[in-house]
Amino acid sequence: MAAHGATATQHKEPLSNGMLGFILFIASEVMFFGGLFAAYFIARADSAQWPPNDVLEAMKAAGTSGPNTELKLEVALPLIATCILVLSSFTVQWAVMQIAKGNRTGLIWGLFISIALGVTFLTMQMYDYSQLPFSSGDTVWATAFYTLTGFHGAHVGGGIIFMTVCLVRAMGGQFSAQHHEAVEAASFYWHFVDVVWIALFTTLYIVG
Amino acid sequence: MPNNGMRRPARRAIVLFSVGLLALAAIGTASAAVGQPGGITDEARDMHGLYLFTLALGAIVFVLVEGALIYCLVRFRKKSDSLPAQIHGSNIVEFIWTGIPVIIVIALFSYSFVVLRNVEHKEQPVDLTVNVTGFQFQWQFTYCANDLGKGANAPDKARGDKYQGPCATEADEFSITGTAKDEPTVVIPLDEPVEFRLKSNDVIHSFYVRDFLYKLDVIPGRDNKFTVTAREVGTFHGQCAELCGLNHALMRFQIEVKTRADFDAWMAEKTAASKAAARVP
Amino acid sequence: MASIAIPKQGGYSRPLILEWITTVDHKKLGILYLYTSMFFFAVGGVLALLVRTQLAVADNHFLDNHAYNQIFTMHASAMLFLFIIPIWAGFGNYLVPLQIGALDMAFPRINALSYWLFPPAGIIMFSGFLVKDGAAQAGWTAYSPLAKTLGTGMDLWIIAVAMLGVSSTIGAANFLVTMFRMRAPGMTMFRMPIFCWTMLVTSVLSLLATPVLASALTMLFIDRNFGGNFFDPNGGGNAVLWQNVFWFYSHPAVYIMILPGMGIISEILPVFSRKPLFGYKAFIFATMGIGGLGFSVWAHHMFTTGAVLKPWFGFMTGLIGVPTGVKMFNWLGTLWRGQLTFEPPMLFALGFVSMFLIGGINGAFAAAVPVDFAIHDTYFVVAHIHYVLFGGSVFAVFGGLYYWFPKIWGRRLNDRLGQIQFWLMFIGFNLTFFPMHLLGLDGMPRRIATYNDFNNWQLLNMISTSGAFLIGLSMFPFAAAVIMAFMKPKDQPNDPWEANTLEWATTSPPPVHNFDEIPEIHSERPLFDLRHGTHSNH
Ligand code: HEA
Ligand code: HEA
Ligand code: CUA
Ligand SMILES: [Cu+2]
Repeated sequence: MAAHGATATQHKEPLSNGMLGFILFIASEVMFFGGLFAAYFIARADSAQWPPNDVLEAMKAAGTSGPNTELKLEVALPLIATCILVLSSFTVQWAVMQIAKGNRTGLIWGLFISIALGVTFLTMQMYDYSQLPFSSGDTVWATAFYTLTGFHGAHVGGGIIFMTVCLVRAMGGQFSAQHHEAVEAASFYWHFVDVVWIALFTTLYIVG
Repeated sequence: MPNNGMRRPARRAIVLFSVGLLALAAIGTASAAVGQPGGITDEARDMHGLYLFTLALGAIVFVLVEGALIYCLVRFRKKSDSLPAQIHGSNIVEFIWTGIPVIIVIALFSYSFVVLRNVEHKEQPVDLTVNVTGFQFQWQFTYCANDLGKGANAPDKARGDKYQGPCATEADEFSITGTAKDEPTVVIPLDEPVEFRLKSNDVIHSFYVRDFLYKLDVIPGRDNKFTVTAREVGTFHGQCAELCGLNHALMRFQIEVKTRADFDAWMAEKTAASKAAARVP
Repeated sequence: MASIAIPKQGGYSRPLILEWITTVDHKKLGILYLYTSMFFFAVGGVLALLVRTQLAVADNHFLDNHAYNQIFTMHASAMLFLFIIPIWAGFGNYLVPLQIGALDMAFPRINALSYWLFPPAGIIMFSGFLVKDGAAQAGWTAYSPLAKTLGTGMDLWIIAVAMLGVSSTIGAANFLVTMFRMRAPGMTMFRMPIFCWTMLVTSVLSLLATPVLASALTMLFIDRNFGGNFFDPNGGGNAVLWQNVFWFYSHPAVYIMILPGMGIISEILPVFSRKPLFGYKAFIFATMGIGGLGFSVWAHHMFTTGAVLKPWFGFMTGLIGVPTGVKMFNWLGTLWRGQLTFEPPMLFALGFVSMFLIGGINGAFAAAVPVDFAIHDTYFVVAHIHYVLFGGSVFAVFGGLYYWFPKIWGRRLNDRLGQIQFWLMFIGFNLTFFPMHLLGLDGMPRRIATYNDFNNWQLLNMISTSGAFLIGLSMFPFAAAVIMAFMKPKDQPNDPWEANTLEWATTSPPPVHNFDEIPEIHSERPLFDLRHGTHSNH
């Protein structure tokens, strides 16, 4: 931070202040999802069945849940979505590598593809939601499912906006081999979102 | 600048300060010792012992630390403008005053661990079971007419009927409830281990009897229970101890300890009454 | 977020009000934090006086149950979320850059954002009083399922607390980067003023714990508004889950509420004893120890749920007494063989040491699990709360205000008024809260809107209430001192107290760019070195 050169500690830092701050911010995001995951596992641990179909029956009997509600998930579509998101992590990293080499077009294409993949992921998730045979109120299992995936989706959206800003700035020619920190930050964020999804997918779809 | 004219207010400050603290220490230890009632159950007396032990430790720590503080205020107030020796610390003393508290903590923990085990004695034979239901904003105490005797253990409920209650059949059940105006009274026999099973269907309440020196939360979706053996006859006050909404303050009840004989008499009368009530078409 | 804001002092052409609204200067933002949180202290205090009035006599009808539950809930919410936590951000904002010799915080615009989330949150929280069935009334702990059953005020509370959470989380990141990266040449980590160190540990706690509160609030909001079942057993949820997640944040949070206060008095005691802080490094490690242990004790608030591992949490809770004890003893070691004088900052610091001790020992009672079975949710805990938070944090706040007032506003608060305030407050405080120990031991539950006098609780409650009004009274000498100070011109030298840390090397108040020149730093007491030469610093 040039303005602080006068007083900032002299020796060269590997990370810029902005980057360090951003990493701390991501750490707090990790804790946020940590809270939600903890809730999921606690609920799971003290349920007789998981998904809690016993509770669902009780709720149906009490009329608090629709008669043809089912607590089950389709794996196929989300699996494809997962691959797409993972792929986008690579493309955004590729974009960073390109600009590090000073290749602006590479950066622009990399970002563009990553954004496209991100949007595809969200669209697929929306479609998936529309097909699910249960709603957020049908037992804690459903609530946890929608909360975790929903908040992840919101973060995907955030990442897409972030990358779009970078894309616009890239097309405005604002980035160079030396100076492309925003892009790196965006990629960090995108990788974080990706990792969270992998954890989510394993927990919700594979472990169940 | 800060030093000028500070002597007199300083002395007054110290005096007031010391007096205040000493007074506090005096009232504190004196009144707190009688602060907690002794308790009327075996478990309570056990816990009261731990309380007194903690109080003793606390009092010692309090007197030593505040004493040292007041000593400093009196002894080391500014006398000259010469700079005092600039001591930056000492590892030895740091070790000492890290070690001593560790010992105190271990002592306190060990004692509380023992007491905790006695109080929560898992496998204990139960003479009488009282089913407590907390609801906004009162209590219901349910006995089972077929299961009041010494030693008799809970009936097996492997029967097909709809009835989900605590007793063998609905007919065996009878309950006591009340209102803020006339508080319900739960009655238990003297010298017998009595088990309280706590249930809630709305929000969290807490079953608290001061003279048990004990409370246990009444949590929807979770069946808590505890056992006590009362050693004093008499009527005692109980009250909900977990904020549960508008009239939390009014969830009061009475608990009455009777000798076995009186208890049976009371029970006979009650069951008769409830049977009569049941017979009315 | 990633793009780095360069601090620019808002142009002077702009009118004063705009100047303050658009400022990104850490000093101005610090002052805004101080004003706003002191305002909420007064509000929370007035609510407390209402509580005390209702409880003064048995079966009182001054407030009905509905009003009472709102008022004590908002009292605590205001005091914790709108007073204590933000006022540390206020001191931190003003002091950290000055104490480490920086021009400003690392991210001045984000700093402004942190502040500007705060007043709206306060307004939203209090707007609960205007909506149907009133403000939040589930206590500051918002236990579920109760919180699920309450009216709109609860949602406003959730939104407000979430906003404050975001504010302190990004604030924490800002403080950390500032302290890691912006220190003046020669200012190594182990030469940072102790107040900075406490802000550092506090920031780590905020950064890691506050987001968990955010997730708890999220779940509660979903339960309330989208038919969620996290905390609702009828939907397979778990009523105790809320308590686990909430306390996972809120125990570390109580250290967020005290550590900077400990930092403040650790600045004051050495100055008025004319000695260095005894065991500077030990103090830092103790602070870290408290921060670390703070994450392993949350369930000590849940012993009576019967749903937690009592021995473990009891033991860890007890252990926290150890590093805190180290601090206590280091403070005494600082006074030992000193040359003590008793200006108001020193009085408040000593008030902290003597009163926080009592609060801490209460904590040890609650840590002995079977004892907690008796005192949990009684007035004994209310006594604990206030001995640590008022006897601790609030005394530190006033100590800090008297100490740094000359630096921040260039004027000194009147000593005599300060002493009067201290003694009124000290006596009123003990009158108010000491009897609560006895009430609690005698079985008076907390959070009850009224009590009947069957075991004569009335006398002690009456004493407590009168004490509360004495505390209220003690605010007037303070207000008077402030007004008098502002009627005088700025007359304070750089270093009126012969202090130790860097902020005293610049003018009072400091220029926009903080320092014309920064003295060389050879120790944690650069100004002492300046006065006496480095050699005498050991
Ligand atoms: C500033 C805030 C603050 C601080 C610093 C503390 C500090 C401590 N607190 Fe406190 N606490 C609260 C704020 C705080 N607390 C609040 C707000 C609540 C109520 C929440 C609610 O329900 O509304 C609460 C409730 C609370 C409970 C739950 C009580 C109940 O509801 O049943 C417990 C239980 O263990 C506890 C313990 C402790 C302990 C052990 C410490 C320790 O950190 C104290 C350590 C200090 C000392 C011990 C004194 C100095 C040490 C020595 C001189 C060394 C020698 C002494 C020994 C070894 C014992 N606290
Ligand atoms: C920093 C935290 C803090 C502070 C400073 C206080 C301060 C006070 N508190 Fe508070 N209190 C809590 C935190 C705090 N409290 C918490 C966390 C709870 C638990 C809530 C819950 O159960 O959920 C609680 C609960 C609580 C209760 C229990 C309520 C219940 O359980 O039913 C009571 C009862 O007496 C009480 C009283 C007081 C009093 C008399 C003060 C006094 O110190 C207030 C002193 C008065 C003033 C400060 C007013 C001064 C201002 C003016 C006179 C206006 C004019 C002056 C100026 C503008 C300068 N508090
Ligand atoms: Cu039931 Cu409080
Ligand atoms: Cu705690």
